[in-house]
Amino acid sequence: MSSAKLSTVKEHTLQGTAASESGPKVTGMKPAGRSGERTVPKESFFKRYNLLPAIVFFLVWEGFSRLNETLTLFNPRFLPAPTVLLQEGWVLAQTGIITESIMASTIRIAAGFLLGSIFAVALGVFMSKFRSVERWFSPILNLVGPIPALALLPLFIIWFGIGEFPKILLIAWTTFIPVLVYTLDGFKSVPSTLIRSALSLGASERQIFTRVMLPAAIPNFLVGAQVSLGLSFSALIVSEMMGASSGLGYMIVDARNYFKITNMFVAIILIGLEYSLFSYFLKLFERRVLAWRKGGLRDALE
Amino acid sequence: MKLEVREVGKGFGERSILRDINLVVHEHEFICILGHSGCGKSTLLNMIAGYLHPDTGSISVDGEAVKGPSKSRGMVFQDHALFPWMTVLDNIAFGPEVQKAGKAQARQTAREFLELVGLEAYADSYPAELSGGMKQRVGIARALAGQPEILLMDEPFGALDVLTRETMRVELQKICAKLKPTILFVTHSISEAVSLADRVVVMKHGEISDIFEVGLTHPRSFHSPGFGKMMSRIERILMDEEPQELLQMKVGSS
Repeated sequence: MSSAKLSTVKEHTLQGTAASESGPKVTGMKPAGRSGERTVPKESFFKRYNLLPAIVFFLVWEGFSRLNETLTLFNPRFLPAPTVLLQEGWVLAQTGIITESIMASTIRIAAGFLLGSIFAVALGVFMSKFRSVERWFSPILNLVGPIPALALLPLFIIWFGIGEFPKILLIAWTTFIPVLVYTLDGFKSVPSTLIRSALSLGASERQIFTRVMLPAAIPNFLVGAQVSLGLSFSALIVSEMMGASSGLGYMIVDARNYFKITNMFVAIILIGLEYSLFSYFLKLFERRVLAWRKGGLRDALE
Repeated sequence: MKLEVREVGKGFGERSILRDINLVVHEHEFICILGHSGCGKSTLLNMIAGYLHPDTGSISVDGEAVKGPSKSRGMVFQDHALFPWMTVLDNIAFGPEVQKAGKAQARQTAREFLELVGLEAYADSYPAELSGGMKQRVGIARALAGQPEILLMDEPFGALDVLTRETMRVELQKICAKLKPTILFVTHSISEAVSLADRVVVMKHGEISDIFEVGLTHPRSFHSPGFGKMMSRIERILMDEEPQELLQMKVGSS
């Protein structure tokens, strides 16, 4: 697993520089992880986890940084070598800042993500069940949904101060919209014959809901969760960059203020690792819940 | 058990789908509703199941009007409609479970019906892992496990290949001999209707045009005496008029 994490670090540092939304990229990463596990176990460890590209990446980085230290093409401090980062990271870890930051960020993202998902599913339930609720909510959501959550952050800070609440609220909000849209779509696309056969077997309306509608909508919910995980991570980092005193985003701002570029790199890498970890958990959950699923390219061809 | 369909009519918008349908199904009877696609046979079945409401007339079971779907009328769909996230056994246990049979009892019932359709080995498989014929067997087992008074089957073998269809027909005949259920079976295959049904209801253009008592002894096959004759009698009714009507339409339009 640690190797799988390593291989995604690169992707995330790259993503960081691209500075675009990571939403679509989340899905882009999916096949890479899958094809990784699919390979035959006979193959060597390196090939199996596809480690070579990551290793080459860090070697090139290391070589370039070391070269730059002597040639000074630009200020060597701007791009510290990975080994330097490891050393500095270790020193930093011993002060306890890293654990503290990771803990703070993890709690925020977990709370926000759960809160957003729960509310989204709950509203999805009501909207799919009562037409009047949908009639009232969907135009409003269409109006408010497309607003980038980050635009709301300053407002949230003015309204709710700089404590934990506005941060968690922002993450919850970014999670809420995609999860709601996908889950609602899932509820709506339950095949009518499934509902009909459940009715003809004597299921009550509540049983139809808990035993047919909910499980049928889970695949869609998970797609929504994948999409929103990327979005809510950017919400997390930005909210920690504005008015926070802990967390990985704060580490970056703090490092900027004191011009400690190594710390900045350490924080960036940690964000990537944390994201990979979360998306890995989500994958595990998905694989468990959707064990019944077949199809796709995996089953189309040997 | 007695199912009565009285003067039932149904239309969607301007279009009238069914007119003046009268049909009585008695206990242990196997009735086939036979007709071309679009003749309204599935609509009739959906109304009997309680998914749709008739515009005129009434449908009743033992004198009680059908208001909506109920466990007393089990349904087998052409697309089998199994719950893809449940194992085969859980699918079959669904009916007993939602009818508050208790988990262990429901599984026991499910095993019995799984055995009936000969799929014990696939109890823990998911529907996606089964072939079309196997899925439909599970569909039948699931509907039967709900202990319905009448089993409604909407072209259950319509999506299967010809060979599987034959096997399934024999299979269904065996089940019928064992359990003596009441079945209303919609099909567009004349041979299927003749080999399975006690009575064949021939529908055309939203009306019942004739009802045939098949009266052949089970097990039936193409070689049973009278089989071919019955088939051609039904065929004559079903295929008749068609050219004439086309002719009329042409005359009418020009």
